[in-house]
Amino acid sequence: MTSPDDSLDTIHALTGEGYKYGFVTDIESDSLPPGLDESTVRFISAKKQEPEWLLEWRLQAFRHWLTMENPDWAKLKVAPIDYQASSYYSAPKEGPKSLDEVDPELLKTYEKLGIPLGERAALAGIAVDAVFDSVSVATTFKSKLNEMGIIFCSFGEAVREHPELVRKYLGSVVPQGDNFFSALNSAVFSDGSFAYIPPGIRCPMELSTYFRINAAKSGQFERTLLICDKGSYVSYLEGCTAPMRDENQLHAAVVELIALEDAEIKYSTVQNWYPGDAQGKGGIYNFVTKRGACRGDRAKISWTQVETGSAITWKYPSCLLEGDGSVGAFYSVAITNNMQQADTGTKMIHLGKNTTSTIISKGISAGRGQNTYRGLVRMQPKAQNARNFTQCDSLLIGDRCGAHTVPYIEVRNPSARCEHEATTSKISDDQMFYCQQRGLSKEDALSLIVNGFCKEVLKELPMEFAVEAQKLLAVSLEGSVG
Amino acid sequence: MTAKPETAPYRAAFTAHPADALADQRKSAFARFETLGFPTRREEAWRFTNLRPLQQAYLPGTATASKPDIAAYAFDGESYRLVFVNGRFAPDLSHTGALPKGVRLDNTAKLLPGHQDLAQSLLDDTDTAGGQGFAALNAALFADGYVLVLEDGVTLDHPVEIVHWGDAPDQSFHLRNLIKLGTGSRATILETYIGEGRYWTNAVTLVDVAAAASLRHVKLQDEATTAIHFGQVRGTLDRAARYDGFVLTLGSELSRHDSFIRYAGENAECGLFGAYLLRGAQEATNMTVVDHATPHCTTHEVFKGVVDERAHGVFLGKITVREDAQKTNANQLNKNLLLSARATVDTKPELEIFADDVKCSHGATVGDLDEDAMFYLEARGISPDEARRMLIEAFAADAIDRLEGEPALRAHLAAHVQRWLNVARVPS
Amino acid sequence: MLNIKNLHAKITDGREILKGINLDVKPGEVHAIMGPNGSGKSTLASVLAGRPGYEVTEGSVTFDGKDLLPLAADERAREGIFLAFQYPVEIPGVNNMYFLRAALNAVRRHRGQPDLDAGQFLKAVRAKLKELEINDDLLQRGVNVGFSGGEKKRNEIFQMAMLEPKLGLLDETDSGLDIDALRLVSNGINKLRSPSRAMVLITHYQRLLDYIEPDHIHVLSGGKIVMSGDKTLAAELEKRGYAMLDETAA
Repeated sequence: MTSPDDSLDTIHALTGEGYKYGFVTDIESDSLPPGLDESTVRFISAKKQEPEWLLEWRLQAFRHWLTMENPDWAKLKVAPIDYQASSYYSAPKEGPKSLDEVDPELLKTYEKLGIPLGERAALAGIAVDAVFDSVSVATTFKSKLNEMGIIFCSFGEAVREHPELVRKYLGSVVPQGDNFFSALNSAVFSDGSFAYIPPGIRCPMELSTYFRINAAKSGQFERTLLICDKGSYVSYLEGCTAPMRDENQLHAAVVELIALEDAEIKYSTVQNWYPGDAQGKGGIYNFVTKRGACRGDRAKISWTQVETGSAITWKYPSCLLEGDGSVGAFYSVAITNNMQQADTGTKMIHLGKNTTSTIISKGISAGRGQNTYRGLVRMQPKAQNARNFTQCDSLLIGDRCGAHTVPYIEVRNPSARCEHEATTSKISDDQMFYCQQRGLSKEDALSLIVNGFCKEVLKELPMEFAVEAQKLLAVSLEGSVG
Repeated sequence: MTAKPETAPYRAAFTAHPADALADQRKSAFARFETLGFPTRREEAWRFTNLRPLQQAYLPGTATASKPDIAAYAFDGESYRLVFVNGRFAPDLSHTGALPKGVRLDNTAKLLPGHQDLAQSLLDDTDTAGGQGFAALNAALFADGYVLVLEDGVTLDHPVEIVHWGDAPDQSFHLRNLIKLGTGSRATILETYIGEGRYWTNAVTLVDVAAAASLRHVKLQDEATTAIHFGQVRGTLDRAARYDGFVLTLGSELSRHDSFIRYAGENAECGLFGAYLLRGAQEATNMTVVDHATPHCTTHEVFKGVVDERAHGVFLGKITVREDAQKTNANQLNKNLLLSARATVDTKPELEIFADDVKCSHGATVGDLDEDAMFYLEARGISPDEARRMLIEAFAADAIDRLEGEPALRAHLAAHVQRWLNVARVPS
Repeated sequence: MLNIKNLHAKITDGREILKGINLDVKPGEVHAIMGPNGSGKSTLASVLAGRPGYEVTEGSVTFDGKDLLPLAADERAREGIFLAFQYPVEIPGVNNMYFLRAALNAVRRHRGQPDLDAGQFLKAVRAKLKELEINDDLLQRGVNVGFSGGEKKRNEIFQMAMLEPKLGLLDETDSGLDIDALRLVSNGINKLRSPSRAMVLITHYQRLLDYIEPDHIHVLSGGKIVMSGDKTLAAELEKRGYAMLDETAA
């Protein structure tokens, strides 16, 4: 296992590599033709053998979505999206029941991606609910988790096996009509992950999901629902890579987290989807709604994200701090290079007494990339003694990129306290020179400095993710210094 | 294009407005106002502003001028003073004495007929085609205001003091001011807005600071607490020019001060400072929009808010650094004291940066008085009321002290902060 | 002068820190309160000075026969209790001189003395400044703003000299001082000793007591005074460390 301190070596090994994960797996898809209407929604629901209530829930979302408009407030230039041109369902033909049954093509794909499955998963101590296209194909460590009463399965399985939990919590944090993309997701979501940690249980391993977008012209609409019951703990990892494509692909996931009294959820993401080429051709459109609710007293939710991929990122992992003494955190690194655009940040809504939140955001812009931090901290009248600290720093590399900071601070309680600090600066010539004078190449010097700039966020990631994240920072910034 | 319904009451006032040298532009401006109407909360710049007090129409009128006593607000020092009452110049209350050579100081109405060139610079595209309804309305309806023009190299020895008094019930006063500083010239302006009763002051000031010229532009807004006050400043700074703006907001039920500053040359510098002290049901917004279009310019912003009782304080700051504006240095600071359970603060310090070789920062805080500082003062025998007062005064002084030069002006502002503090607090 | 009986106090989160303190301080006496970290030393000083965030749950404190506990922090200060802070607070924008004069006149009014005018005040200030070797440009700054650690502590003693309290509570005044600064501060404190004034020194280390000789030494542990004695106790503590408390208990 590489330690984060070896970053320079690994970064060195990676330079000149370009986008590593650009390959296409050849698998027969059982896909819907492009198009979206009520029958699409009914098809998806029927295909997944869903109960009537869930179909109704989807249809309700779909009808609401029809009345909504694409949001235009973000600092993003988005080419019009033709929602009728996408296909809303594709699945591998056969549903394998165990690892042995998994298509060897698929396993090879995971191998190239470095996803630990089977033995490798066991060594790495990770349970993987791998999502290939839209259907869950393999789940490991289920029995071990079962013994502890932990449920970790595909969303579809959760609907079948634990309908009471799904029904109780689905849409309770992100209502169907919350926004344009959450409404779309609620109507046509294909599959995703579900986890439930029973009271007092500390999940002994990092739960992990890898997403891939594969089949041509297929949108990806994942749904994740994570519930931590009283006094429980889970650390959840989400990582993404996608094969190279020329057409823009839409991804609109919804993630809902619920932490009850004294529960803690750590949710980490490394997002490394295809960003498009240097001219801005292709790349993923990533419109994600992620929100967690601290429903009980002293509950904790922390979001850590490293966003290096996608042509467009629109994402605001948020916390509703309802319980007294609950804690929210958002740690983010976002890199935009070439023609990438990111509008990302968080919302911390303080509702309960003595709630605290921390926001650390590091934005790095290179090439012609545009990077916006957009955040809201709101102290409601009952948020007695609530605290927020926000720091968002931007680093500019090159003179054709942009870094923007749009913080909203709304305070309705005099005992609450908010502090916001932000800086924007270019990469320091002195630091670059110092590193180069000590023998580092420009690229290595840049990686070193950028990694240092992001350190406060990277240290929040679990170890194996931190290593991957450091590699990604270097790869993402390739070609940004001449 | 159909006119927005809320603009209807103002049409008659516009039709009745006497034609002058700017008749064509005024016509376009009014059409613009009818198209835009009043801003709504869907507009980013107005999302925190409650325009309910403007539901009633405030029309310009011809009320006979009252004889206000403005002594309590007079600047304690020599000045060139122009006094306006209910939107019109009041010559008998004004005294400009002998102005130095190269200085023109007049009221807009007097200047309009004979000076086509200056008249034209009273309006621009923002009024006739821009996105600000109230500025367009002002352009269509303004009757008076002040014009200060300095020739190259002239230094004005004393501040220009502009006092506006309003007390004509349910009327609106649209003032249009122009400040034009020639190369290397220097001036200080103190604007004071005061009054009694319900009225609406809507002032637009165009500022043009030529190369190496310097303007200190101070505003004391202590309108009646039942009045509405909108002030807009649109400034352009040429090479090595300097603009220092300060706004002390104490009055009005609803008020805004919107500063739009654009750099048109290198090495220019701008300071935008302010303090707002609010109580009762007051709402005040300070908005700054600074456009770094040229390299090597510096912007400093410091706004301090003290918000008590049910009041609502808003700061909206935006600094844009355009692609070629390298070596920009800009910082924004907004600090707020929230003193009561029903008071609210919204702040949005925004940076938009398209150049890499820049140093930009911003900061915002909202909180109550520092408990440790309170205890330290009390532990030395100072009563809680006095300690609180000392801390608030120091808090506001931090903004006032940013205004360089003119100690008498700082003392003048500090005295009005003290006067505000002397008003007994309504316990929450 | 100061009578503390069975004082129990807790902090806002509910933890009880003081668990029955008894202490008698007479005019002219210097008491040192020592003890390991977390024993409640600073809490005792804070409770006596009336710092918010502490709740007295049991016991009594009288000062010159007057019940101290109902009094607000500023009233206690005007009665003559001075707390030299372990961490003097920085108050930007409030001028040191302005602050000190406001405090001094508040105390004087309470004693029935007339306010000092600017001239008299300045004269008094200059004299005391010199004794403590404080640069007068410090006085033009905000309260404690831009002061070094040593300057902050000297400023505390300077304020004590100006306000002339009956009782000085010195909370870890020696912490963070180098040897020269410690000597200076100690001299300042010694000069303020008088038959009518009492002092309570709160300290972790014995070294302050090399410079200021106390009449009584108390050892605080677990929120109680577990040992009292004369100045020789300090030397013994120095030699054996606070571990000796455990030995004694066993």
